[in-house]
Order: sequence, then C-alpha cells, then structure tokens
Amino acid sequence: MSMKGGGFDRKSKASSEVPSSSLADIAFLLLIFFMVTTVFQADRDRPIEWPEAEAAEKIDEKQKNILNIWLERSGTVFMNDQPFGMPDVSSFVAPLYAASDRALVISIRSDRQTPYIYVDQLQKELVEAGVVRVVFATQLEQSMQRERR
Amino acid sequence: MAVLNNKKQKVSDEVPTSSMADIAFLLLIFFLVTTTFPKDKGLAIVLPEQGEEAQVSQNNIMHLIIQPTGIVDVRRGEAQNTQQMRPEQIESLWRQAISENPNLIAAVKTHPDAAYEYMVDVLDALHSASAERISLQILE
Repeated sequence: MSMKGGGFDRKSKASSEVPSSSLADIAFLLLIFFMVTTVFQADRDRPIEWPEAEAAEKIDEKQKNILNIWLERSGTVFMNDQPFGMPDVSSFVAPLYAASDRALVISIRSDRQTPYIYVDQLQKELVEAGVVRVVFATQLEQSMQRERR
Repeated sequence: MAVLNNKKQKVSDEVPTSSMADIAFLLLIFFLVTTTFPKDKGLAIVLPEQGEEAQVSQNNIMHLIIQPTGIVDVRRGEAQNTQQMRPEQIESLWRQAISENPNLIAAVKTHPDAAYEYMVDVLDALHSASAERISLQILE
C-alpha cells in the first residue's frame, strides 16, 4: 500500500454491498406467514361421483361462509364430517346461518345418482332454516366431452 | 509481487451462505405458485323464502318435467301437448322461448326417482342460456 495520496486512497473498511445476510430470514418469514395464514377447508371430502355442468361458476363468497352439505346416494346427509338425518338438517343449519349474518352459502354436494326426492327434501329443510343462497356444486364439464356425447 | 508465498490463501473456510436467500425465495415462489385454493364451482340458485308464493300467469311458465329416464317433457303454460327432448336441447329451446316472452319462468319439475344428475343437466342448460327465473319443484 502506498501512502502517496496522504492516505486518502486507503481502502474503506465499510462494505460497499447491500447487506444480504438477513434476506434469507425475510424470505423464510414470508414463507411461514403464508403457510400459517392459508386456510384449507375444514371438512373431509365424501366419496361421491360428482355431477358435471358446463355453466358452473365460482362461488362468490368467502370460504368460511360456505357450508358444504354432502348428500349420498342413500340419502344420508353429511355436514362437518358428521352424519345427519334429513329432519335434523334445518335445526343444525339455522343457528349457523344466523351466526353468519345471513351470508351463509350452502354448497350441496350430491352424488349424481341420488334420487331427486332426497335433494328436494334437503331443499325444503334449507328453506325451513331460512337459507336463500344455495349452490349445486359440480365439476366443470369440458365442452369437448359434451360434443362427444 | 515477488513474494508469492506470503500471500494469504483466498479460499474461504466458511460454507457459502450468499445463495441461501435465493433458495429461500425459490421455495417461497414455488409454494406460492403451486398452492391451489379449492375454489368450489357450482350452479347457484336462490331458494324462495319460507311461505313465499307468487301467483304467476300460466302463459309465463314453461314446465320442464324430468322423467326417471332423463327425458324431459316440455309443456308451455296451459297447453296440453308435451314435447320430449334431451337436457342438452333445452338451451336452444330456452333462448328461443325467452326472446318471444321475456317474462318466462322455468318450472323444473323432477320425478322423485329421477337421478340428481338429470336435474343438474337441465339446470346447466338453463344457466347456459342465461335463464334467471328458475323454480325447482318435485313432480307430484
């Protein structure tokens, strides 16, 4: 090292780089934040054969305001992983509906082979509970599939 | 520069951690991209309020009677003659009918033994034809 410039060209000890050692911590923090805040549906899927529809639209409501009602081929109703008899549906749904400020949307997930009488009974139970917004959950039918039929 | 032996060894004895941030971001982006939220799809319908009954002129009703075989009997208002068709054909029928009468209501009456999928097929056809006034009933 020469001292020709009176020491001015001595290299500074402060790093000229942006400190990046904490970047990993920030990234992990974000990763953990998103992992924690992600809410997955609470109830487990029942084994049903989904009906298919072309005009199916996304349900425009928050996940927590959607109640899934599974209706099996035998007419058994499942809500929140619990089996229900048809007459008990309205007494279970009504308090949930009131608690949600009438924003609750019912997603009816029925097997495609379910006799319609059960679907009708379920609808009558929901009307009794005061529920207005109902969605018949379906899988999206591909238009190619439809043309082949 | 003659004293080569005196120079400090430049190989670091630490594990390189500068790429750690890249790896973390890569993981973050990977999980952000691959996470699919189970957004449900379906055919929305508004159920009537309890005890709500509207009187509708028979001229404004199209009866769609779904038989257990999946065949749909279409009957307009008070007309006695029915037309048999498959659920896929309802879409074009509805488009034509609604252009003639904008106040038309689709009364979907399903046989108690008919499979749910046939009702969904009919409802799908009506939704595809952007029908708004749909009434779901059971065939008595």
